[in-house]
Amino acid sequence: MNGRNQNVLLARLNVTWDGQNGDLWEPVPFEATDAEIRAWATEAVRSRAIAGVEPRGEVDLTDFVVDRFPATAELPQPRLFVRPKTPFGAE
Amino acid sequence: MTREVVAVVGADGAVLRWSTGDGASVPDDRGLWECLWAARDGLLGVAHSHPGSGPPAPSSEDLSTFAACEAGLGRRLRWWIATADGVIAVEWTGPGRTEYGAVSPGPTPWLEELRRRSGFGLASGPGRSP
Repeated sequence: MNGRNQNVLLARLNVTWDGQNGDLWEPVPFEATDAEIRAWATEAVRSRAIAGVEPRGEVDLTDFVVDRFPATAELPQPRLFVRPKTPFGAE
Repeated sequence: MTREVVAVVGADGAVLRWSTGDGASVPDDRGLWECLWAARDGLLGVAHSHPGSGPPAPSSEDLSTFAACEAGLGRRLRWWIATADGVIAVEWTGPGRTEYGAVSPGPTPWLEELRRRSGFGLASGPGRSP
């Protein structure tokens, strides 16, 4: 690990999948890209690393988005939420 | 001026939430997702409007949103799309993730309000002069 990694801001990762929702027990870097976070979330669900979220069927978070919430006085740890996207648009 | 509007429809046909876009789309909205999640056990589907008139069809953006929301909720929904004078409903048919087919729209007690909020006034209705 280099010196840069020692100062990484870590966040709690919450994932919603297949009617289930839970937090990854291990924190992840808050500043990671959406693609990295989706990949970690996918692997976490597949490997049953999120309490309360069972990988029923194929786990595909392709069209999911990442919401980022910095730490606050009430919630001292930053939060990341992986959830389905919701835009609608005519072509 | 018309705009796209989204209505989250509960099992009894009542609208649980309205979301209004600023043109021909409604942007991603965490609040809309939170409504879907909170109501997931008593949810019938989601309606939204497309500008113009005639028979509507889901866009590729619509289809990927349908699939993502159903994947998150762990259940299938009905998805209505309305124009000034048309309305369709689609449900997942598969086998592909974004393969949806038309079904009977069923009761749509919210349709008039959806069109009103979308700006489909008399001037833009079918057979009317601008």
